[in-house]
Amino acid sequence: MQTKTFSGTLDSLSPIRQYLKSIAGNAGVSKKASYNLQLAADELVTNTILYGYEEAGLQGDITIFSEIIEDQLVVTIQDSAVPFDPLSKEMPSKEDLSKPLNERPIGGLGIFLVLNGLDEFRYEFKDGFNFNTLVLYLT
Amino acid sequence: MKVKKTEVDNIAILSVDGSIDSSTAAAFQKEILAQIEIDNNLILDLSKNDFISSAGLRVLLLVYRSSKVAVGKLIIVGASDEIKDVMYHTGFSKFFTFSGNIEEGIQMIKSPQH
Repeated sequence: MQTKTFSGTLDSLSPIRQYLKSIAGNAGVSKKASYNLQLAADELVTNTILYGYEEAGLQGDITIFSEIIEDQLVVTIQDSAVPFDPLSKEMPSKEDLSKPLNERPIGGLGIFLVLNGLDEFRYEFKDGFNFNTLVLYLT
Repeated sequence: MKVKKTEVDNIAILSVDGSIDSSTAAAFQKEILAQIEIDNNLILDLSKNDFISSAGLRVLLLVYRSSKVAVGKLIIVGASDEIKDVMYHTGFSKFFTFSGNIEEGIQMIKSPQH
């Protein structure tokens, strides 16, 4: 298991993506899957920083755990921000996504991009921490 | 992230160097909306752009909604396969015109059938 901690600020977005790019590279995933992992993490961490920390007047860290379990790359993002289950957010439907851009709601794309690019996604709140788990299949 | 503006045959080219995420989307938004106010024909060069999050897609949505672009032409050139893939899955692709390179993009803006 590898672990790395970043400060819960928007300045960390780019270093977090670089870190996950190297994790994905070491795990041998495709360029596309690596990009999708970075995108999913970016969307989740952005939400945590903007709403879970900043809007709530809190400060904290983002800790990333990663390991290969059998044939899966499992990346868990831990934060101590306000409890928030990304899956509780309403996701745009297939119908929404085929609507002309003029008729669409402006938000909601983030969670779609999280789920679209991963093989599995789990959320858990435990011992005062949010845990977002991102899984890519290595087959 | 930096946005550089150049011109070829009086057509503006905005080149994005770096990533568009929540820490840089506001700067990108300011640059591209200001340019669209000046001229509704625009080439957005993403050949040095390695990442666009939903914050960046929201800017493109705002750009698309601005009335100016509706009567002009915005051509996206040099987007990576990964970014094109995201734009496809979110249904953005069909509202923007893509081109392989700047020269081709300029021809598309100049030609009356597009």
